[in-house]
Amino acid sequence: MQHLDPDRLVLLALSEDQQHSDESEHLAGCAGCRYDLESLREVSEIGAQTQDLRDLPPPPEHLWRAIEAEIAPAAASPGGSAAVTDLAAHRGRAHRRRSRWLAPVLAAAAAAVLAVAGTVVFDRLAGRTGGEQVLARATLAPLETVPAAAGGDVRVLADGQMRVDVRGLPLTTGFHEVWLIDPDDLTKMVAIGNLSGQPDVVLPVPVGTDLNRYRLVDVSDEPHDGDATHSGRSLLRGTLTS
Amino acid sequence: MSSDDELAERLRDGDEKALRTAYDRHGAAVLYLAQRLLGNRADAEDVTQLTFVAAWTGRDTFDPGRGTMLGWLLGIARRKAVDRLRSAARDDRLTETVRAQTAPADETESPERIVDRLVVADELGRLPDEQRRTLELAFYDDLTHPQIAAVTGLPLGTVKSHIRRGMANLRRRWEVDGAAFGSRSVGPSRAL
Ligand SMILES: [Zn+2]
Repeated sequence: MQHLDPDRLVLLALSEDQQHSDESEHLAGCAGCRYDLESLREVSEIGAQTQDLRDLPPPPEHLWRAIEAEIAPAAASPGGSAAVTDLAAHRGRAHRRRSRWLAPVLAAAAAAVLAVAGTVVFDRLAGRTGGEQVLARATLAPLETVPAAAGGDVRVLADGQMRVDVRGLPLTTGFHEVWLIDPDDLTKMVAIGNLSGQPDVVLPVPVGTDLNRYRLVDVSDEPHDGDATHSGRSLLRGTLTS
Repeated sequence: MSSDDELAERLRDGDEKALRTAYDRHGAAVLYLAQRLLGNRADAEDVTQLTFVAAWTGRDTFDPGRGTMLGWLLGIARRKAVDRLRSAARDDRLTETVRAQTAPADETESPERIVDRLVVADELGRLPDEQRRTLELAFYDDLTHPQIAAVTGLPLGTVKSHIRRGMANLRRRWEVDGAAFGSRSVGPSRAL
Protein backbone atom coordinates (compact mmCIF):
# COMPACT_ATOMS: atom_id res chain seq x y z
CA MET A 1 0.00 0.00 0.00
CA GLN A 2 1.36 3.38 -1.02
CA HIS A 3 0.89 5.89 1.86
CA LEU A 4 0.40 9.58 1.24
CA ASP A 5 3.58 11.56 0.72
CA PRO A 6 4.43 13.81 3.72
CA ASP A 7 4.46 16.89 1.48
CA ARG A 8 1.00 16.00 0.19
CA LEU A 9 -0.28 15.57 3.76
CA VAL A 10 0.96 19.05 4.60
CA LEU A 11 -0.63 20.59 1.53
CA LEU A 12 -3.94 18.89 2.32
CA ALA A 13 -3.72 19.91 5.98
CA LEU A 14 -3.18 23.54 4.98
CA SER A 15 -6.15 23.21 2.55
CA GLU A 16 -3.85 24.33 -0.19
CA ASP A 17 -4.79 21.40 -2.40
CA GLN A 18 -7.90 19.26 -2.86
CA GLN A 19 -7.72 15.53 -2.25
CA HIS A 20 -7.43 13.51 -5.43
CA SER A 21 -9.85 10.64 -5.67
CA ASP A 22 -7.13 8.01 -5.18
CA GLU A 23 -5.98 9.88 -2.06
CA SER A 24 -9.50 9.97 -0.62
CA GLU A 25 -9.77 6.28 -1.29
CA HIS A 26 -6.49 5.59 0.50
CA LEU A 27 -7.42 7.78 3.46
CA ALA A 28 -10.73 5.96 3.84
CA GLY A 29 -8.85 2.71 4.27
CA CYS A 30 -5.69 3.80 6.12
CA ALA A 31 -6.00 4.84 9.76
CA GLY A 32 -2.33 5.88 9.92
CA CYS A 33 -2.54 8.45 7.13
CA ARG A 34 -5.92 9.62 8.40
CA TYR A 35 -4.47 10.20 11.83
CA ASP A 36 -1.45 12.06 10.43
CA LEU A 37 -3.68 14.28 8.32
CA GLU A 38 -6.00 15.06 11.23
CA SER A 39 -3.06 15.94 13.49
CA LEU A 40 -1.50 18.21 10.88
CA ARG A 41 -4.86 19.88 10.24
CA GLU A 42 -5.27 20.55 13.92
CA VAL A 43 -1.73 21.93 14.16
CA SER A 44 -2.24 24.25 11.20
CA GLU A 45 -5.53 25.44 12.66
CA ILE A 46 -3.90 26.14 16.02
CA GLY A 47 -0.91 27.71 14.29
CA ALA A 48 -3.13 30.14 12.43
CA GLN A 49 -4.49 31.32 15.81
CA THR A 50 -1.15 32.14 17.38
CA GLN A 51 -0.51 35.56 15.90
CA ASP A 52 -1.66 37.52 18.95
CA LEU A 53 0.48 35.35 21.25
CA ARG A 54 3.79 35.95 19.59
CA ASP A 55 4.52 39.22 21.33
CA LEU A 56 2.86 39.04 24.70
CA PRO A 57 3.84 41.90 27.01
CA PRO A 58 6.41 40.88 29.61
CA PRO A 59 4.86 39.94 32.96
CA PRO A 60 4.96 42.76 35.51
CA GLU A 61 7.92 43.20 37.81
CA HIS A 62 5.78 43.74 40.91
CA LEU A 63 4.29 40.28 40.38
CA TRP A 64 7.75 38.76 40.36
CA ARG A 65 8.61 40.52 43.59
CA ALA A 66 5.48 39.10 45.20
CA ILE A 67 6.55 35.61 44.07
CA GLU A 68 10.09 36.18 45.24
CA ALA A 69 8.93 37.39 48.62
CA GLU A 70 6.82 34.29 49.05
CA ILE A 71 9.27 31.61 47.98
CA ALA A 72 12.23 32.76 50.02
CA PRO A 73 11.89 35.93 52.02
CA ALA A 74 15.61 36.02 52.65
CA ALA A 75 16.30 35.83 48.93
CA ALA A 76 14.23 38.92 48.22
CA SER A 77 16.83 41.09 49.91
CA PRO A 78 20.01 39.15 50.38
CA GLY A 79 21.17 41.76 52.87
CA GLY A 80 19.83 39.10 55.17
CA SER A 81 18.92 41.00 58.31
CA ALA A 82 15.60 40.13 59.87
CA ALA A 83 14.47 43.68 59.31
CA VAL A 84 14.99 43.48 55.57
CA THR A 85 13.21 40.14 55.44
CA ASP A 86 10.14 41.62 57.08
CA LEU A 87 10.07 44.33 54.50
CA ALA A 88 10.12 41.81 51.68
CA ALA A 89 7.40 39.69 53.25
CA HIS A 90 5.26 42.73 53.69
CA ARG A 91 5.65 43.63 50.06
CA GLY A 92 4.31 40.24 49.02
CA ARG A 93 1.15 40.79 50.99
CA ALA A 94 0.83 44.39 49.98
CA HIS A 95 1.00 43.49 46.32
CA ARG A 96 -1.67 40.88 46.53
CA ARG A 97 -4.00 43.27 48.23
CA ARG A 98 -3.13 46.02 45.86
CA SER A 99 -3.90 43.94 42.82
CA ARG A 100 -7.54 43.78 43.90
CA TRP A 101 -8.64 47.23 44.84
CA LEU A 102 -5.93 49.30 46.38
CA ALA A 103 -4.29 50.68 43.28
CA PRO A 104 -6.29 53.92 43.06
CA VAL A 105 -5.66 54.82 46.69
CA LEU A 106 -1.97 54.03 46.77
CA ALA A 107 -0.90 57.61 46.30
CA ALA A 108 -3.27 58.66 49.02
CA ALA A 109 -1.85 55.97 51.31
CA ALA A 110 1.64 57.29 50.79
CA ALA A 111 0.45 60.71 51.79
CA ALA A 112 -1.24 59.25 54.84
CA VAL A 113 2.08 57.91 56.06
CA LEU A 114 3.18 61.51 56.35
CA ALA A 115 -0.08 62.66 57.86
CA VAL A 116 0.11 60.21 60.77
CA ALA A 117 3.67 61.14 61.61
CA GLY A 118 3.45 62.77 65.01
CA THR A 119 6.13 65.23 65.96
CA VAL A 120 7.14 67.80 63.45
CA VAL A 121 10.84 68.03 63.95
CA PHE A 122 11.42 70.89 61.61
CA ASP A 123 9.65 72.97 59.08
CA ARG A 124 10.70 75.38 56.39
CA LEU A 125 11.00 78.22 58.87
CA ALA A 126 13.78 76.48 60.72
CA GLY A 127 15.99 76.95 57.71
CA ARG A 128 15.95 80.77 57.93
CA THR A 129 18.66 80.92 60.53
CA GLY A 130 21.56 79.28 58.74
CA GLY A 131 22.55 77.86 55.39
CA GLU A 132 24.38 74.69 56.29
CA GLN A 133 23.15 74.11 59.80
CA VAL A 134 22.96 70.33 60.22
CA LEU A 135 19.98 68.91 62.06
CA ALA A 136 20.89 65.25 61.75
CA ARG A 137 23.41 63.07 60.01
CA ALA A 138 23.88 59.42 59.11
CA THR A 139 26.70 57.29 57.77
CA LEU A 140 25.50 54.84 55.17
CA ALA A 141 26.97 51.34 55.21
CA PRO A 142 26.61 48.70 52.49
CA LEU A 143 24.38 45.67 53.03
CA GLU A 144 26.02 42.28 52.68
CA THR A 145 25.50 41.83 48.96
CA VAL A 146 26.91 45.21 48.10
CA PRO A 147 30.65 45.77 47.58
CA ALA A 148 32.25 46.78 50.85
CA ALA A 149 33.67 49.93 49.28
CA ALA A 150 30.16 51.32 48.81
CA GLY A 151 28.92 53.81 51.34
CA GLY A 152 27.69 57.30 51.88
CA ASP A 153 26.92 60.24 54.13
CA VAL A 154 23.64 61.97 54.76
CA ARG A 155 23.09 65.35 56.32
CA VAL A 156 19.69 66.82 57.00
CA LEU A 157 20.05 70.59 56.87
CA ALA A 158 18.04 73.12 58.79
CA ASP A 159 16.39 74.35 55.58
CA GLY A 160 14.67 71.01 55.16
CA GLN A 161 17.06 69.74 52.52
CA MET A 162 18.80 66.40 52.73
CA ARG A 163 22.28 66.24 51.27
CA VAL A 164 23.20 62.72 50.18
CA ASP A 165 26.72 61.69 49.15
CA VAL A 166 27.22 58.15 47.96
CA ARG A 167 30.14 56.20 46.55
CA GLY A 168 30.74 52.79 45.03
CA LEU A 169 27.10 51.88 44.38
CA PRO A 170 26.63 48.94 42.01
CA LEU A 171 25.45 49.91 38.53
CA THR A 172 21.72 49.65 38.00
CA THR A 173 19.46 49.37 35.00
CA GLY A 174 16.90 51.29 37.07
CA PHE A 175 17.71 54.02 39.58
CA HIS A 176 18.75 54.53 43.19
CA GLU A 177 16.06 55.82 45.51
CA VAL A 178 16.47 57.37 48.94
CA TRP A 179 13.98 56.45 51.66
CA LEU A 180 13.38 57.31 55.28
CA ILE A 181 12.10 54.26 57.12
CA ASP A 182 10.63 53.74 60.57
CA PRO A 183 12.98 51.09 62.05
CA ASP A 184 10.26 50.03 64.48
CA ASP A 185 7.82 49.31 61.66
CA LEU A 186 9.64 48.66 58.42
CA THR A 187 6.47 48.88 56.41
CA LYS A 188 6.29 52.60 57.09
CA MET A 189 8.53 54.69 54.90
CA VAL A 190 8.79 57.94 53.02
CA ALA A 191 10.28 58.19 49.53
CA ILE A 192 12.64 61.14 49.43
CA GLY A 193 13.85 61.10 45.86
CA ASN A 194 16.32 59.47 43.53
CA LEU A 195 20.01 59.95 43.08
CA SER A 196 19.76 60.13 39.29
CA GLY A 197 23.21 58.64 38.94
CA GLN A 198 24.98 61.47 40.76
CA PRO A 199 27.30 60.98 43.71
CA ASP A 200 26.03 64.10 45.48
CA VAL A 201 22.44 65.31 45.51
CA VAL A 202 20.27 67.58 47.61
CA LEU A 203 16.71 66.39 48.11
CA PRO A 204 13.87 68.10 49.97
CA VAL A 205 12.53 66.22 52.99
CA PRO A 206 8.71 66.47 52.95
CA VAL A 207 7.53 68.99 55.50
CA GLY A 208 6.13 67.28 58.57
CA THR A 209 8.35 64.21 58.40
CA ASP A 210 9.14 63.01 61.92
CA LEU A 211 12.84 62.32 61.81
CA ASN A 212 12.79 60.74 65.24
CA ARG A 213 10.53 58.08 63.84
CA TYR A 214 11.69 57.92 60.22
CA ARG A 215 15.35 57.81 61.15
CA LEU A 216 16.59 54.88 59.08
CA VAL A 217 18.02 56.15 55.79
CA ASP A 218 17.85 53.56 53.03
CA VAL A 219 19.17 53.66 49.46
CA SER A 220 17.55 51.07 47.23
CA ASP A 221 17.86 49.80 43.69
CA GLU A 222 14.56 50.41 41.91
CA PRO A 223 13.57 49.12 38.49
CA HIS A 224 11.75 51.39 36.03
CA ASP A 225 8.46 49.56 36.40
CA GLY A 226 6.13 52.36 37.37
CA ASP A 227 5.74 50.86 40.82
CA ALA A 228 6.29 53.56 43.42
CA THR A 229 6.81 51.19 46.35
CA HIS A 230 10.16 49.98 47.67
CA SER A 231 11.68 47.22 45.55
CA GLY A 232 12.96 45.30 48.57
CA ARG A 233 16.51 45.61 47.24
CA SER A 234 18.30 47.78 49.76
CA LEU A 235 21.91 48.73 49.06
CA LEU A 236 22.93 51.15 51.82
CA ARG A 237 21.55 51.92 55.23
CA GLY A 238 22.33 54.19 58.12
CA THR A 239 20.54 55.74 61.08
CA LEU A 240 20.09 59.48 61.51
CA THR A 241 21.40 60.98 64.72
CA SER A 242 21.45 64.61 65.71
CA MET B 1 19.82 30.82 26.80
CA SER B 2 19.79 27.65 28.84
CA SER B 3 17.74 24.61 27.91
CA ASP B 4 14.82 23.28 29.89
CA ASP B 5 17.04 20.49 31.19
CA GLU B 6 19.60 22.88 32.54
CA LEU B 7 16.90 25.13 33.96
CA ALA B 8 15.22 22.17 35.66
CA GLU B 9 18.50 21.12 37.19
CA ARG B 10 19.16 24.58 38.58
CA LEU B 11 15.61 24.76 39.85
CA ARG B 12 15.92 21.41 41.63
CA ASP B 13 19.13 22.68 43.21
CA GLY B 14 17.11 25.46 44.78
CA ASP B 15 18.48 28.27 42.63
CA GLU B 16 15.95 31.13 42.77
CA LYS B 17 17.53 32.63 39.66
CA ALA B 18 16.27 29.64 37.70
CA LEU B 19 12.73 30.46 38.75
CA ARG B 20 13.32 34.04 37.68
CA THR B 21 14.48 32.77 34.28
CA ALA B 22 11.33 30.66 34.02
CA TYR B 23 9.26 33.72 34.95
CA ASP B 24 10.97 35.88 32.33
CA ARG B 25 10.52 33.19 29.71
CA HIS B 26 7.03 31.96 30.50
CA GLY B 27 5.37 34.40 32.91
CA ALA B 28 3.62 36.18 30.04
CA ALA B 29 2.05 32.94 28.78
CA VAL B 30 0.94 31.92 32.28
CA LEU B 31 -0.59 35.34 32.87
CA TYR B 32 -2.32 35.24 29.49
CA LEU B 33 -3.84 31.83 30.22
CA ALA B 34 -5.01 32.90 33.67
CA GLN B 35 -6.50 36.09 32.33
CA ARG B 36 -8.40 34.25 29.61
CA LEU B 37 -9.71 31.69 32.08
CA LEU B 38 -10.62 34.07 34.87
CA GLY B 39 -11.61 37.14 32.93
CA ASN B 40 -9.97 39.71 35.15
CA ARG B 41 -6.48 40.96 35.69
CA ALA B 42 -6.39 40.88 39.51
CA ASP B 43 -7.36 37.19 39.76
CA ALA B 44 -5.05 36.40 36.85
CA GLU B 45 -2.10 37.95 38.67
CA ASP B 46 -3.00 36.06 41.83
CA VAL B 47 -3.12 32.76 39.93
CA THR B 48 0.17 33.56 38.19
CA GLN B 49 1.74 34.16 41.57
CA LEU B 50 0.28 30.90 42.95
CA THR B 51 1.57 29.07 39.87
CA PHE B 52 5.17 30.16 40.23
CA VAL B 53 5.16 29.64 43.98
CA ALA B 54 3.75 26.12 43.42
CA ALA B 55 6.36 25.52 40.74
CA TRP B 56 9.02 26.46 43.26
CA THR B 57 7.57 24.27 45.99
CA GLY B 58 7.07 21.37 43.62
CA ARG B 59 10.23 21.87 41.59
CA ASP B 60 11.28 18.26 42.19
CA THR B 61 8.30 17.03 40.20
CA PHE B 62 9.23 18.71 36.93
CA ASP B 63 10.54 16.07 34.56
CA PRO B 64 11.97 17.44 31.30
CA GLY B 65 11.47 13.98 29.82
CA ARG B 66 7.70 14.32 30.08
CA GLY B 67 7.21 17.79 28.67
CA THR B 68 8.64 21.26 28.56
CA MET B 69 8.85 23.81 31.34
CA LEU B 70 6.12 25.86 29.64
CA GLY B 71 3.78 22.88 29.38
CA TRP B 72 4.36 22.08 33.04
CA LEU B 73 3.72 25.67 34.17
CA LEU B 74 0.58 25.98 32.05
CA GLY B 75 -0.69 22.73 33.55
CA ILE B 76 -0.25 24.11 37.06
CA ALA B 77 -1.83 27.43 36.09
CA ARG B 78 -4.87 25.70 34.60
CA ARG B 79 -5.52 23.77 37.79
CA LYS B 80 -5.06 26.88 39.93
CA ALA B 81 -7.44 28.85 37.72
CA VAL B 82 -10.04 26.09 37.76
CA ASP B 83 -9.77 25.90 41.57
CA ARG B 84 -10.33 29.63 41.70
CA LEU B 85 -13.38 29.42 39.44
CA ARG B 86 -14.83 26.56 41.47
CA SER B 87 -14.43 28.29 44.79
CA ALA B 88 -15.87 31.47 43.30
CA ALA B 89 -18.83 29.45 42.05
CA ARG B 90 -19.26 27.89 45.51
CA ASP B 91 -19.18 31.30 47.15
CA ASP B 92 -21.73 32.47 44.65
CA ARG B 93 -24.14 29.66 45.46
CA LEU B 94 -23.75 30.38 49.14
CA THR B 95 -24.24 34.07 48.86
CA GLU B 96 -26.47 33.92 45.81
CA THR B 97 -24.60 36.73 44.17
CA VAL B 98 -24.23 37.22 40.49
CA ARG B 99 -22.68 34.25 38.73
CA ALA B 100 -21.84 36.24 35.67
CA GLN B 101 -18.92 37.80 37.50
CA THR B 102 -17.01 34.54 37.61
CA ALA B 103 -17.75 33.37 34.09
CA PRO B 104 -14.69 33.18 31.89
CA ALA B 105 -14.24 36.14 29.60
CA ASP B 106 -14.47 34.04 26.49
CA GLU B 107 -16.57 30.92 26.81
CA THR B 108 -16.16 29.91 23.21
CA GLU B 109 -12.54 28.85 23.69
CA SER B 110 -11.72 25.93 25.96
CA PRO B 111 -8.81 26.05 28.41
CA GLU B 112 -7.23 23.20 26.45
CA ARG B 113 -7.35 25.20 23.26
CA ILE B 114 -5.71 28.22 24.89
CA VAL B 115 -2.92 26.00 26.20
CA ASP B 116 -2.51 24.47 22.74
CA ARG B 117 -2.18 27.89 21.17
CA LEU B 118 0.39 28.98 23.76
CA VAL B 119 2.62 25.93 23.29
CA VAL B 120 2.40 26.07 19.50
CA ALA B 121 3.16 29.80 19.56
CA ASP B 122 6.16 29.09 21.79
CA GLU B 123 7.42 26.36 19.48
CA LEU B 124 6.94 28.57 16.44
CA GLY B 125 9.17 31.12 18.12
CA ARG B 126 11.86 28.49 18.60
CA LEU B 127 11.98 27.26 15.01
CA PRO B 128 14.92 28.11 12.75
CA ASP B 129 14.29 31.48 11.08
CA GLU B 130 13.35 30.26 7.60
CA GLN B 131 11.05 27.52 8.91
CA ARG B 132 9.36 30.05 11.13
CA ARG B 133 9.05 32.66 8.41
CA THR B 134 7.53 30.32 5.83
CA LEU B 135 5.02 28.99 8.39
CA GLU B 136 4.04 32.52 9.43
CA LEU B 137 3.30 33.36 5.81
CA ALA B 138 1.23 30.19 5.46
CA PHE B 139 -0.65 30.61 8.78
CA TYR B 140 -1.12 34.34 9.13
CA ASP B 141 -1.13 35.52 5.52
CA ASP B 142 -2.73 32.38 4.11
CA LEU B 143 -0.19 32.20 1.31
CA THR B 144 0.30 29.08 -0.82
CA HIS B 145 3.69 27.43 -1.27
CA PRO B 146 4.33 29.13 -4.64
CA GLN B 147 3.31 32.51 -3.21
CA ILE B 148 5.67 32.02 -0.26
CA ALA B 149 8.45 31.14 -2.69
CA ALA B 150 7.75 34.35 -4.61
CA VAL B 151 7.66 36.51 -1.46
CA THR B 152 10.76 35.06 0.14
CA GLY B 153 12.79 34.36 -3.00
CA LEU B 154 13.38 30.81 -1.80
CA PRO B 155 13.14 27.91 -4.29
CA LEU B 156 9.77 26.14 -4.14
CA GLY B 157 11.41 22.89 -3.03
CA THR B 158 13.05 24.68 -0.10
CA VAL B 159 9.75 26.26 0.92
CA LYS B 160 8.15 22.81 0.83
CA SER B 161 10.76 21.24 3.05
CA HIS B 162 10.76 24.17 5.52
CA ILE B 163 7.01 23.91 5.89
CA ARG B 164 7.03 20.13 6.18
CA ARG B 165 9.75 20.19 8.84
CA GLY B 166 8.23 23.15 10.63
CA MET B 167 4.85 21.45 10.76
CA ALA B 168 6.47 18.26 12.05
CA ASN B 169 8.19 20.26 14.83
CA LEU B 170 4.97 22.00 15.84
CA ARG B 171 3.11 18.72 15.80
CA ARG B 172 5.69 16.99 17.98
CA ARG B 173 5.60 19.81 20.49
CA TRP B 174 1.81 19.87 20.51
CA GLU B 175 1.72 16.14 21.15
CA VAL B 176 4.10 16.54 24.09
CA ASP B 177 2.70 19.69 25.69
CA GLY B 178 -0.71 20.33 24.20
CA ALA B 179 -3.63 20.07 26.58
CA ALA B 180 -6.18 18.86 24.05
CA PHE B 181 -3.91 16.00 23.13
CA GLY B 182 -4.69 14.55 26.54
CA SER B 183 -1.31 13.19 27.56
CA ARG B 184 -1.02 15.72 30.35
CA SER B 185 -4.24 14.99 32.16
CA VAL B 186 -2.47 12.87 34.76
CA GLY B 187 1.00 13.11 36.18
CA PRO B 188 3.07 13.76 39.22
CA SER B 189 2.61 17.50 38.95
CA ARG B 190 -1.11 17.07 39.51
CA ALA B 191 -0.69 17.42 43.24
CA LEU B 192 0.61 20.96 42.94
ZN1 LIG C 1 -1.62 5.42 4.57
